[in-house]
Amino acid sequence: MATKTKERASAAPQEAPAPTKSPKVQGNGATPLPEDLLKRLYGYMLKCRTVEEKARTLFKQGRFAGNYYAAVGQEATEVGCTIDLKPEDTIAPAHRDFIANIMKGTPLNLMFAQLYARKTSPDQGRSSPAHCGYAPLNVITPASTIAAQLNIGVGVALAYKMKKQDNVCVALSGDGSTSLGFWHEALNFAGVQKLPIVFVVQNNMWAESVSVKLQTAVEDLSVKAQAYGFPGITVDGNDVVAVYRVAQEAIHRARIGDGPTLIEAKTYRWYGHSEIDPAKYRSPEEVEYWKSKDPIPAMERYLAKHNMWSDKFKEDLLTKINQEIEEAVQFAENSPYPEPEEALDHVYSFSIRDRELNRKAWTCSTPSPASSK
Amino acid sequence: MALSTYIDAITSALAEEMRRDERVFILGEDVGVMGGVFKATKGLQEEFGAERVMDTPLAEGVIISSAIGAAMQGLRPVPEIQFSDFVTPAMDAITQQAAKLRYRSAGSQTCPMTVRICYGGGVGGGLYHSQTNTTWFIHEPGLVVLAPGTVYDAKGLLKSAIRDDNPVIFFEHKKLYRSIKEEIPDEDFTVPIGKAAVRREGKHLTAISYGYTLQLTLQAAEKMKDKGVEVEVVDLRTLSPLDKDTILQSVSKTNRCVIIHEDHRTLGVGAEISAIIAEEAFDCLDAPIMRVTAPDVPAIPFSAPLEKFYMPSVEKIITAFDRILEY
Repeated sequence: MATKTKERASAAPQEAPAPTKSPKVQGNGATPLPEDLLKRLYGYMLKCRTVEEKARTLFKQGRFAGNYYAAVGQEATEVGCTIDLKPEDTIAPAHRDFIANIMKGTPLNLMFAQLYARKTSPDQGRSSPAHCGYAPLNVITPASTIAAQLNIGVGVALAYKMKKQDNVCVALSGDGSTSLGFWHEALNFAGVQKLPIVFVVQNNMWAESVSVKLQTAVEDLSVKAQAYGFPGITVDGNDVVAVYRVAQEAIHRARIGDGPTLIEAKTYRWYGHSEIDPAKYRSPEEVEYWKSKDPIPAMERYLAKHNMWSDKFKEDLLTKINQEIEEAVQFAENSPYPEPEEALDHVYSFSIRDRELNRKAWTCSTPSPASSK
Repeated sequence: MALSTYIDAITSALAEEMRRDERVFILGEDVGVMGGVFKATKGLQEEFGAERVMDTPLAEGVIISSAIGAAMQGLRPVPEIQFSDFVTPAMDAITQQAAKLRYRSAGSQTCPMTVRICYGGGVGGGLYHSQTNTTWFIHEPGLVVLAPGTVYDAKGLLKSAIRDDNPVIFFEHKKLYRSIKEEIPDEDFTVPIGKAAVRREGKHLTAISYGYTLQLTLQAAEKMKDKGVEVEVVDLRTLSPLDKDTILQSVSKTNRCVIIHEDHRTLGVGAEISAIIAEEAFDCLDAPIMRVTAPDVPAIPFSAPLEKFYMPSVEKIITAFDRILEY
């Protein structure tokens, strides 16, 4: 694949391939995706959206504390680049990628226990809500530090390469992260070592309150890949089919040893940086424009156009999703909080409880020779 | 038994651990073809290949971060930071990621790695090739911090570090590399992490140190013998978590304590040890605790008289001993 720094990949709905049984090449050079896959892409977006809106509601109701960082509006990007990863593959998420857990298969019960900071969560109540990781399926527990996950993801990919495994790492970051030196160190080393990693920048145009125009002087963040010797591509991040196609090629390249890819997905977060941010730095017109580009109805129209749609399909999906969410909320609310002293656990491979809780009182064991002079 | 320098002990520990465990690999600046700026990894790329002794880009942040990621996937990385002065670009990786990964994932994700850092002054290295900076890492629970002051410990502690399941910061003093020699066993041996060593028994005062200043402290203790003073010398070896029992046991016996280290005075390990003694063994003290440390200046100045003023010395340590005995 040549470096496609200025290319904009887009497949749906504007450039949707015509429905056909024969896999002949369409206008954009791609064969249509199978119906089952298209429906799963849609179903996952719907699940991610529903879970996040529920999380926002629960937070606003005061049913869990802290904060929440919603990726609502960015579902096409999250789903398109993480669907169908292997359990052994790693996702290196940022703070806004709670729903990446859904894509990897983290049980929803555990994700909601994480929001509620309960003992039953994967981190046993330690990390902030939405900073959910899951070791059994290789979702790195996120930190709030920006871009660090890319560098750790590079190390994961280095281990895959050294162990001659065909696993890949999908490392997620935002437009703000590209300003950090750390972001560039990660891409540089991955390029030098041709590591099996896909860097996905979800360019939602705002790093908290700062416009991407103040982060970088380039139009497309994907051009930065040129400096590191591997392909970079910008894709419509609200077009799940386009994101999927680009991500699949990048993941395939990584698996066969062809090295990293940088994907910039241009998208938008509907809400503030977090639930306590009213996001007054953005114009209502801008928000409305992007809401009109909502990836979920766009995909509904795409499916309808290809005779794959029925309202019942969505109703059935939502019934199942809402039932799973209700069970997860119940599980979380019925789960115990950690015991206070558990704050002392998991510092080292050995326990420090005794050291912290049971201090010895030392007394003079011998009279001092010096003072008896 | 064979006579070994401190740096040869490190090189042989690395080689033996890499032969023992194929998950162990080295990465860093100049560690491969060149064998390290101090030659600590000399000959290792020839034996183990360019992948297991990897020359990396000049970027400490990704050197440490990629070691964290590789460790998460079951490898045992041993990244090298050429000079402690240059560890700062990796501080996010070490303090925010390595130190906190186990904690933030409730033990489900860990990064067993050994970060070798060359540190210390007294070699005319100037501001940016002489810094100590051990204190920064002692302040980060989640990290094990080691600083051997003998040849035997350099080898035994490095082996323990590589086999340990925690992220370990392993401080090697550059002035010790070729200035001390010891007979060490040919067969495999390790030194326990978390245990201080009593290097010399005594009853009149306890002197606590580590690394290069341990050697100065031992010389000072030897000179005190002429005055009839028996100094007990405690070698911390593990700077975090501190072996409080050995420290307090010794102080409860001698009732007097001097702490010697090369890092700055304010909030150095000496401050923490003083606080521990004050909190847990106050009744044992017959005199104030004293510290012999570097002054609170930003770094070691280059010009020889300035550097001499900065560094702890045998004379400064003896002066502190005398003062505390006269109290």
